[in-house]
Amino acid sequence: MMAESMPLRQLWWLVHKDLAREIRAPHAWSRSLLLGVILVLLLAAQIDPSAGHPTGAIGGLLWIAIFFAGTLALERSFAGEHDAGCWQTLHLYPVSPAMLFFAKLFVNLLSLLTIELVTIPLFIGLTDESLFARPGAMACILLLGTAGFAAVGTLLGALTAGLRNRSGLLPLLMLPVVAPVLLSAAEATRIVIAGDGDPLWGWWVQLLGAFAVVFTVVGALVFDFVMED
Amino acid sequence: VNDSFLGRFSQTHLVWGSCAICFAVSAGLVFIAAPTEASMGDVQKILYVHVSVAWCGLASCLVMGFCGALYLIRRRLEWDFWSQAAAEVGWLCTSLTLVTGSAWAHEAWGTWWTWDPRLTSSLLLWLIFTGIILVRQGIDDPHRRGRIGGVLAIVGMCDVPLVIMATRWFRGVHPVAPDMDARMRLVLLASVACFTLLIAGLMFARRRQLELAELVAQLDADDCQSR
Repeated sequence: MMAESMPLRQLWWLVHKDLAREIRAPHAWSRSLLLGVILVLLLAAQIDPSAGHPTGAIGGLLWIAIFFAGTLALERSFAGEHDAGCWQTLHLYPVSPAMLFFAKLFVNLLSLLTIELVTIPLFIGLTDESLFARPGAMACILLLGTAGFAAVGTLLGALTAGLRNRSGLLPLLMLPVVAPVLLSAAEATRIVIAGDGDPLWGWWVQLLGAFAVVFTVVGALVFDFVMED
Repeated sequence: VNDSFLGRFSQTHLVWGSCAICFAVSAGLVFIAAPTEASMGDVQKILYVHVSVAWCGLASCLVMGFCGALYLIRRRLEWDFWSQAAAEVGWLCTSLTLVTGSAWAHEAWGTWWTWDPRLTSSLLLWLIFTGIILVRQGIDDPHRRGRIGGVLAIVGMCDVPLVIMATRWFRGVHPVAPDMDARMRLVLLASVACFTLLIAGLMFARRRQLELAELVAQLDADDCQSR
């Protein structure tokens, strides 16, 4: 019984360690939130509800704001470990690299969902868009899109954190890889806002799910090599 | 030393010589044997280069990913040299795909660029190649470069199914499998084979260059230590 619960206990302690670090350094995560708020304010200012509803662009604008604010959070997640010398200590933990990847992925997923929890209501308030006309559908897009984004970000964030000239490298590497997630999420969001019951919605969500699964598996498999720094 | 006529030719001469002959034959086939397309005229001949370099770009990406994975498993630098050579050749091929595709789009669809799924996924592949090459350039230690390059190559390889299936999965203007005259199809196959030989030659040459550069770096390091 004890042996069966070991992986879950390991995961919990790793997540606990990262969450405690986040809570003790509110100035760090508040920067990502602030960037998200600023981006939403700037992008929402470009949308004029009285001039019709450009639903085609709204999903894309929202996901661009989430991407840039999220990238800052992901970059910080591993850079902090390197700067404080925690990376070497992580090697001493009696856990598999895949477990470390899942723990980091879980914490990054929580960070991104927190950013979305603040930016999306603000976006809805400023643009009057009915993003949650179908709450289940929108929650599905957010969860799968964020999972795919977090999987890629966790892997590439860990990879670039140890590099000498890492500044600005993560968004440069991440954007082409994560672009299919952003495009699929934007398209699925557009269908939800349009509310016309386009059957293609299911297709975009399947693509988001496939992307999240592929990059979670790839990340867990290659994280051992990433950890060698 | 073999002083006979054939002995004066190295492997490199043979590779590049056979490439030159294949290209001459392929160009002859494209401009003489292939029929001129009724609606687009001679501009349609871009297709023979476009499809060939597009295939070579995807093949290079697969080679890059597999060789990157082999480096991570075996930890032998020769696999990383292959992976790097494939990334650079793949970047060149994808760049040519975008340029020739753009020229085709201008004639066929009246625009230099459109956000068609196949075009967009090809552009993403080009950006992935660029990112990998940029990251590699910033790392001095060869084994660290191989490890990080290997992981990035595996991640980059995941874009290949998206490029291949883009025309089938998403609605776009790019043709899926257009009907083609039998002679056109034959010339296209010859062109693809010719370009495949060329990129294989380029990869061999670049890998050899990287291997020699590493050897020189090691000799320099040994020389410094002995002093």
